[in-house]
Amino acid sequence: MKISLDWIKDFVELPELSPQEMGVRFTLSTCEVEGVEETNAHMEQVSVVEITKIEAHPEADKLRLVSFETGSGERRVVCGAPNVAPGMKVPFAPIGTTLPGGFTLEPKKIRGVMSEGMLCAEDELGLSDDHAGLMELPADAPVGKSLAEYLELKRDVLLDIDNKSITHRPDLWGHYGMAREFSAAFGKPLAKPFDEAWIEKMRGLYNDETPPVSVTVDEGTACLGFCGLSVDGVSIKSSPVWMQQRLTACGMRPINNIVDISNYVMLELGMPNHIFDRDTVRGGRIIVRDMGKDGTFTTLDEMERKMIAADTMVCDAEGPSSIGGIMGGLTSSVKDETNRVFIEVANWKPERIRHTSTRLGLRTDASQRYEKSLDSHQIERTVLRILELLLESCPEAKVVGSLVSDKVQLKPPLIIDLTLERVNSILGTTLEQSEVIRILESLEYKIDAQGDVMKVTVPSYRATKDVEVDADLIEDVGRIYGFDKLIPLAPHNEITVTSLSPAKIMERRIQDFMVLRGRALEIYSYPLTGARLLEQADWSVMNEGLVLANALSPETDRMRPSLVPSLLEKASLNQKFHSKYRLFELGRSYLENEKNFSEDRHQLGIIYFDKNESPFMDVLNLMGDLLESLSLKAQIQPPNPKFANPVVASDWTGRHPHEFLDVRVMGKICGFIGTIHPLMCSKFKIKGNLVMAVLDMTDFMDRPVKDKTKYKPLPKFPGATFDCTVVAETNTPAADVLGVLKKVKLKELEDVRIVDVYPLSESQKTVTLRSWLLDRDKTLAPDFLKEAENKIVAALDKAGYPLKQG
Amino acid sequence: MLQKLEEVKKEFDSEIDSVASMPDMAQFKADYIGKKGRLSALMGGMRDLSVEDKKTFGARANEVKQEMIAAVEKRSQAIELEAINAKLEKNRQDISWTDRITDKGQQAAGLHPLTKVTRELEDLFLSMGFDILDGPHIEDEYHNFEALNIPESHPARDMQDTFWFKDKKHLLRTHTSNLQIRGMETHKPPFKFVGPGKVFRCETLDASHEAAFHQLEGMMVGRDISVPHMIHFLRTLLSEIFKSELKVRLRPGFFPFVEPGFELDYECLLCGGKGCSVCKQVGWVEALGCGMVHPNVLRGGGIDPNEFNGFAFGLGIDRLTMMRYRIDDVRHLHSGNLQFSEQFRTY
Repeated sequence: MKISLDWIKDFVELPELSPQEMGVRFTLSTCEVEGVEETNAHMEQVSVVEITKIEAHPEADKLRLVSFETGSGERRVVCGAPNVAPGMKVPFAPIGTTLPGGFTLEPKKIRGVMSEGMLCAEDELGLSDDHAGLMELPADAPVGKSLAEYLELKRDVLLDIDNKSITHRPDLWGHYGMAREFSAAFGKPLAKPFDEAWIEKMRGLYNDETPPVSVTVDEGTACLGFCGLSVDGVSIKSSPVWMQQRLTACGMRPINNIVDISNYVMLELGMPNHIFDRDTVRGGRIIVRDMGKDGTFTTLDEMERKMIAADTMVCDAEGPSSIGGIMGGLTSSVKDETNRVFIEVANWKPERIRHTSTRLGLRTDASQRYEKSLDSHQIERTVLRILELLLESCPEAKVVGSLVSDKVQLKPPLIIDLTLERVNSILGTTLEQSEVIRILESLEYKIDAQGDVMKVTVPSYRATKDVEVDADLIEDVGRIYGFDKLIPLAPHNEITVTSLSPAKIMERRIQDFMVLRGRALEIYSYPLTGARLLEQADWSVMNEGLVLANALSPETDRMRPSLVPSLLEKASLNQKFHSKYRLFELGRSYLENEKNFSEDRHQLGIIYFDKNESPFMDVLNLMGDLLESLSLKAQIQPPNPKFANPVVASDWTGRHPHEFLDVRVMGKICGFIGTIHPLMCSKFKIKGNLVMAVLDMTDFMDRPVKDKTKYKPLPKFPGATFDCTVVAETNTPAADVLGVLKKVKLKELEDVRIVDVYPLSESQKTVTLRSWLLDRDKTLAPDFLKEAENKIVAALDKAGYPLKQG
Repeated sequence: MLQKLEEVKKEFDSEIDSVASMPDMAQFKADYIGKKGRLSALMGGMRDLSVEDKKTFGARANEVKQEMIAAVEKRSQAIELEAINAKLEKNRQDISWTDRITDKGQQAAGLHPLTKVTRELEDLFLSMGFDILDGPHIEDEYHNFEALNIPESHPARDMQDTFWFKDKKHLLRTHTSNLQIRGMETHKPPFKFVGPGKVFRCETLDASHEAAFHQLEGMMVGRDISVPHMIHFLRTLLSEIFKSELKVRLRPGFFPFVEPGFELDYECLLCGGKGCSVCKQVGWVEALGCGMVHPNVLRGGGIDPNEFNGFAFGLGIDRLTMMRYRIDDVRHLHSGNLQFSEQFRTY
């Protein structure tokens, strides 16, 4: 919102500060000033001149040398405008003028001829978009007079206020409310032209005639009170220049005196209003009621709007004439021949206005203000201010009857108890009570000090929502006193021991492990996904229950049910850059949950990609090490059809027929390691070996990672090793052969490992196994060793793995 | 005889350095100091000498023998070393050919920049006695709005473009402030905690706007906590983050869950407050929103606002991360592009 300081000066004297300083001071005391703009400064330098002579430019066909009288001597410029003529009055900007585009005129030769400034078109002066030719001034325009003086253009400073910073302050949506803040911030008195005495005086214009329009507000509508006043004998004309200028400065287009007054008063007092052509009020009745049934309504911007039964409309005897609190209709506006008007000022329920305007996608100056909770006390004041300006514009106009109204309820004043101790304790200040009272009074609070307690009466325009409790008053005291005057102070701290939560510790361990052991890069992928990606990944959980009502795009319209589709997408992206890569993500996926609507799942996703060799074993070994490093009781095992894997469906087409293992932690399946099926890879245009692992940590991440080390004293007696090579079928897993040894009942058998696997023929291979034998109490006897070796060989032989002969 | 001895020694000295292999050395050693060697032969002739000469010759012969043994030992070691070195030379590998100059695909490994900055923040708060909390991304209206003093009709709901689920009751949290409510549910005052995490806003994406981004929420509740305490704390925090003594300023800012509410700016580090492109010519950079916890919020969390009060703040982690590394486009953060991640490698 733009605030004109010229307008503010109607109500309060401002200190001599640069526009920038003014912006900073206001930002620190009240609300965010996003920009400061000076207007019309150039108009004081631009003056009226009369063209005397036109000559051809010696070197350019399209340019001419134009001489003119400035009132203080003749000047000449090079000019390309098509409409120059001797005797014409035009605006002239001399060297040194800074025009609205930010460009300063300098002495300059144009095609070899010196030009002493510029004759201006309207757009160059910032008066309109017109660049057809030089701005032609009336013949009687006095030569030498500044344009500022001639056009009555006042120099002004505009503050651009960030609307978001005043959403809680309905009182700041008009210049008078802003002026009150300037008055408090700078300690200057505030003029009170619209006080109770003025209201009383203006009411003197009401008379006994029967009001020609009656007002009824139905129960249960969005209306919080509706007032109106009829005025006869107005005439439609242009507003005075000063009013047009202020409206333009604040971003409103001047239309005619009636519309301009309506807008002007809204910008001044912050209360939206509407001035009807009274002849369009059919039946002389205004009824505020809900639509009752769905239908359409054409607003004054000539758009047909879809209304629903619960929308409140302002109607006459025949039907709706405007959407209450949002926008008027096509028919009720004033026209050139309008003579009788009806001034409407009403208040509306913020939540209802917000609903309707959001649904219609129609945010207007009015709805924006009503949403902030306006003060019904301002209704009559606004009617009277409109009347005052109407009578200024049309002195012949007269009021018909008095104010008509319905359902206007004025809330009793809000009184809050405040203590000085509380103020000083929160702000860390040592303010005197008199200082606190002075500040609050500067914001028009009324204070009744009763001993330590100040009974603070909140002005009605602050009590609609913004100010509720003493903390709100303390904020006002603090900002006017100046938050920059507060001296930082170290809090007295109780000694507490803090540490990262088990979940955080686990996350960090995983991340560090993946970087240092996994040699992987961490990525973040998007938690939102769309049906297209899920379908591409052939993912059966579509998360229809977690679809957003207002998604930005179909690609991000729902929460992802798993990290898998995201990882496939990222795998596809990155294979363009690398023939081999490793990445991981600690991210969330989201599942529907009947009881709690949804549940966030914490997942670790790992991808190893290699164009040439399968990295499956790398990932498998990595996962084994990771689970051990987290001290988790875990198994990695082939899928068992009896137990479903909750992380990936058993019929997911991305599963590899052989290279796929379930991860089970503390007895529950919560992850997998798998090579992605080549067919799935090709759907994502991935050419190479892609291995993925996902571990859902949700169920165990809150458990502290415990150090489960159990120390054993080092053996005092030497042990022995025994190697043997057995024959097995080619397809027999080496681990099965080793498994036989693990089951041998021999307490001296400390450990068994595979040394080597070697193909023997098409159908057979050899497996070389090593056994460690150790007795912690004595040296192993040769006889015992022989016996142990026989036992091992016999067990293998019995299991179908005979010793290799020769 | 003595002269002969000296001659043998001289010959020994002149020949020993040309012995090149261990077998040659064995032969050489036998030739001179072996049982049948030249030295033994000379010593055998001692019988014919006078007692006086025997003494002189014997002493000298022994001396020469010791010298020869030492020289043979020394030369043998040298020969052995040469032999090993020759072997090493033969098996020489190219130690310039590291992984780093080899095309083996990705070599780098490391954390995401947001993880790095978040960890740094967490550690900083941990060192100041704050607990670190986490909370759900999918929230209900109560925790994201109502409990934070933002009732249904409040225009502040428009300030945050909320992603709603179709039931219109659940949403993606628009700020980490839901952690204030969740934190109060699990903590008894006095307490202090922070919570970093992902938040969501329905915003059109561009180089500086993301629909999913990261915030860190903080809350400290105790007795007699004042605005100056908050300023002191936040100034310390920012100075630590930027590793520089910062100047900060408060200005009024509106957040429904704090009262008074502030925006906290710090003096631009680049221009020292004179105004530059980073601070948009104002000399100050917006750092975070903060304020004294609204009594309604405390009350909603079961805390008596007459007994306890405190402050809360929220800062944007993405912007901090982007400033730290001068990242040009916020969309890179969720891109999953390894060309981006590689630049933040640990190694």
